[in-house]
Amino acid sequence: MEAFNNLMYGFGIALEPMNIAYVFFGVFAGTIIGMLPGLGPISALALMIPITFAMEPSSGLILMAGVYYGAIFGGSTSSILLNAPGVAGTVATSFDGYPLAKQGMAGKALAIAAYSSFIGGTVSIIFLMLVAPLLGKVAVSFGPAEYFALMVLGLTAVVSLSDKSLVKGLIAAVVGVMISIIGIDLQTGTERYTFGAAHLLDGIDFLVVALGIFALAEVFYMLLRGGGGKEQPRNAIGSLKLSGRECRDIAAPIGRSSILGFFTGVLPGAGATIGSFLGYSMEKRLAKDGDTFGKGNIKGVAAPEAANNAACTGSFVPLLTLGVPGSGTTAVLLGALLVMGVTPGPAMIESRPDVFWGVIASMYIGNIFLLVLNLPLIPLIAKILDMPRPLLLALILIFCMIGVYGMSFSVFDLLLLLGFGLLGLGMRLFGFPAAPLILALILGAIMEESMRRALQISGGDWMIFIDKPISMWLLIIAALSLVLPMVKKAIAGARARA
Amino acid sequence: MTRLNVNQVLALCLALVAVGYLAMAWQIPDFPLPRPVDSDLFPKVLGFTLLGLSLLLFLEKPKAQDIPDELDPNEQAQPLLLRPWSRVVVTSLAIVVYALLLAPIGFVVASTTLSFGLAWYYGYRRHGVNMAVSLGVVLALYLTMTKVMDVYLPTGILPL
Repeated sequence: MEAFNNLMYGFGIALEPMNIAYVFFGVFAGTIIGMLPGLGPISALALMIPITFAMEPSSGLILMAGVYYGAIFGGSTSSILLNAPGVAGTVATSFDGYPLAKQGMAGKALAIAAYSSFIGGTVSIIFLMLVAPLLGKVAVSFGPAEYFALMVLGLTAVVSLSDKSLVKGLIAAVVGVMISIIGIDLQTGTERYTFGAAHLLDGIDFLVVALGIFALAEVFYMLLRGGGGKEQPRNAIGSLKLSGRECRDIAAPIGRSSILGFFTGVLPGAGATIGSFLGYSMEKRLAKDGDTFGKGNIKGVAAPEAANNAACTGSFVPLLTLGVPGSGTTAVLLGALLVMGVTPGPAMIESRPDVFWGVIASMYIGNIFLLVLNLPLIPLIAKILDMPRPLLLALILIFCMIGVYGMSFSVFDLLLLLGFGLLGLGMRLFGFPAAPLILALILGAIMEESMRRALQISGGDWMIFIDKPISMWLLIIAALSLVLPMVKKAIAGARARA
Repeated sequence: MTRLNVNQVLALCLALVAVGYLAMAWQIPDFPLPRPVDSDLFPKVLGFTLLGLSLLLFLEKPKAQDIPDELDPNEQAQPLLLRPWSRVVVTSLAIVVYALLLAPIGFVVASTTLSFGLAWYYGYRRHGVNMAVSLGVVLALYLTMTKVMDVYLPTGILPL
């Protein structure tokens, strides 16, 4: 009953005319940006931060949440029509979506993606509503040692679940923390790594790093990979209608994948990409016609789409209840919240119920928008994919510049943006994952503060991290998340040699 | 002499960064009052961690994803200024020039010129559409930022 009352309170906020407009704008903008190959939800969110800067935190987060799941949904459109996933979370959608499009059934695949996203998103909001306050109550008892351990776990999980080298992931995370501590140490007033530059005394704005590492680096990467005028021909859309039998066929996969997706999203480091792959492979195993997966099976579109949207919502659980983002995307969301003056965490549910419940209620509205707005507009929105690439690249650059300059009015930050763009390009070329860097950048300062506070409480005794059971278990899981993939790799290598 | 692989070269560069970082960590002044943890502890932990990870990277065999793909030979055969890496360099220089000229010539002129110029340089030849889109997007952003969000953007040479 309490949850219902809170939800009604949230609807009171989310249904304010301006907030409805923000959800609409967020979902629409997210769909368009997510559709553009290369630009994922992280870039979309980073590009939106300057817009949300002056907003009420609840409105800002409502808009950002809309952008997030809009971007995931938008990514499915380019996956299906072009076989060029706009976001990693929709790669699995292309396995069957693109073959369906080649068979002249792109409309059907897009409609399935829309319905599945809607159901996946809606089911997981119900779970979020029920799970988040419970987790929040547990998290209230967390002290600095537990928080430090939780953040270490968040980082190691993101690194270990990345498809790239573990060592390179860890290096990216360490560099992210190094960037985060540039500036004046707030506890002692000591300057660290400012090189005497006044511009660096306040540290490096995370927006500069996020836009550089993701959006600008993506522009550079596209330029290297033939960013000129070559456009890929896209498939015609065709009818969006589904038969009764098709609806029955996809019902169970959507239900299963929605639940699986939510819990995958809650886990630090997992999220939409892993959720969608798990949903896809689970349905492939369960389906009687599993051998037709990859050749245009509608269940192969429904499962990953339900799972990826459910995972997006699931990823809000650690962010809103613990204040610890479990992925690069939610790290950007956390950064945006901090910019707006809100610190998410267990206390937020009590201190800022407008933000917490407003966002949850707005997710229902956003999912309805996703369905009723995007489905009929798909043929129109898909025309964005025909936008000439040179013009698109130039405009993305302008958005990056305005985003940074509009926040800081600093030419120095524009040059830093360029530096991080080049760093991001280098990371991409040499196989360093970018998500751990951005997550570490957001968590680094809080992590150091938690560590120092814990050590101050213990009088410098490092055993505080082991003496506290929650902290100890979190650190053990963190260590296992790094060691197990190495052991698995070593065993696989030994078997291959044998 | 055995040639170093890409991971080993990267590892050496990162190790140098780590050593420099550690050297600077030792120069962080102590806080006047004794504390269990001072400002230099975390940077030292980070520096040594990066050094250790560099060693691990040195020993790690590069996979296909660690080595940059070959660039398209057709793109490479283009005139020097239009080659892939030239596009990155020219774009970077354009950003530097934009940053330096933003205040003197103003946001609208600088941004429109950058957007139009880069789209043209990347190969878009419909100049009318290019100008209309560049100017339209920049003006829309300018008006949103200045009139709706009360964010000041330099007007420069235009009396906006």
